[in-house]
Amino acid sequence: MEDELDRIFSRRDEMIPSSGFVASVMEAVQRESTASQPIAFPWLRALPIFAALAAVLVMLGIAIFELVRMPVSYVGHWTIPPAIMRVLSQTSAGWVAIALVIALLSTWIPVRLIAGKR
Amino acid sequence: MSPTEDLADVERVLAGEVSAFEGIVRRWQGPLINMAYRFCNDRSRAEEMAQEAFLRAYRNLAGWRRDAAFSTWLFALAANLYRSELKRIPAHNVALDDIAELMDKRSHQAEFEAEDRDRIIRRAVLALPEKYRDAVILYYFHEMDVPAASKSLGLPEGTVKARLFRGREMLRSKLPQLLQGPKLKEA
Repeated sequence: MEDELDRIFSRRDEMIPSSGFVASVMEAVQRESTASQPIAFPWLRALPIFAALAAVLVMLGIAIFELVRMPVSYVGHWTIPPAIMRVLSQTSAGWVAIALVIALLSTWIPVRLIAGKR
Repeated sequence: MSPTEDLADVERVLAGEVSAFEGIVRRWQGPLINMAYRFCNDRSRAEEMAQEAFLRAYRNLAGWRRDAAFSTWLFALAANLYRSELKRIPAHNVALDDIAELMDKRSHQAEFEAEDRDRIIRRAVLALPEKYRDAVILYYFHEMDVPAASKSLGLPEGTVKARLFRGREMLRSKLPQLLQGPKLKEA
């Protein structure tokens, strides 16, 4: 059996590519190279968002630091430090937070829906 | 087909010279189309599948690690694509049992040529369960080289040998007439 299979498959006729094959592949490759240029990440536009994120993280760090430094008896009625409270109210942080959550959800939900359909 | 030519063309394509990819297509069109033909037994589909393999190679050219030969990488990529394509749209095959029956009927006809028999046997290989079929096809594509077939399949050599053995056993049990060889024509 092995010999028979070996004989059949080793004398198999080779298929000759058609004359237009190379041109057809190169056309598709050229199309691919021009059509699908990867979109660069907009670092410049994202910079303010990263700055805001860094500021939030710094504020969070300060809050945690103050909370740790505070005596245990005060922890029960701990409030946000006045300096942070002032910054939050000046920048309408509540609205910013709501906007961020909505933006996050409006991105996350379609992504999940598309992933679910695949 | 020199590895240095492949390397030079890949470097040029990665540097932005898309036309350098033509050298790769010219060198490897024959093997890739023939590999595809072994998977689908259809000439026009084989060219379509090979074109898709070249496109995929172009897209993933940066992923070729230079520790393996370019051909090894290209064949593995192509084999992977062809197997997925066959899962998506299976080749027009009949079941192995039907082929065995056909073989049995035809073997009693005087005009049953060796060529017909070979064609039926090739169809029988395509009717094998996927994992045995892939091992058999790639083993013969690589001119009976188990290490090369195992690289194309991304499987250990032992697994490929076991699948080859099992695939041949299945063919032997379904097509015992094969053992008779030239007698078929006389029967």
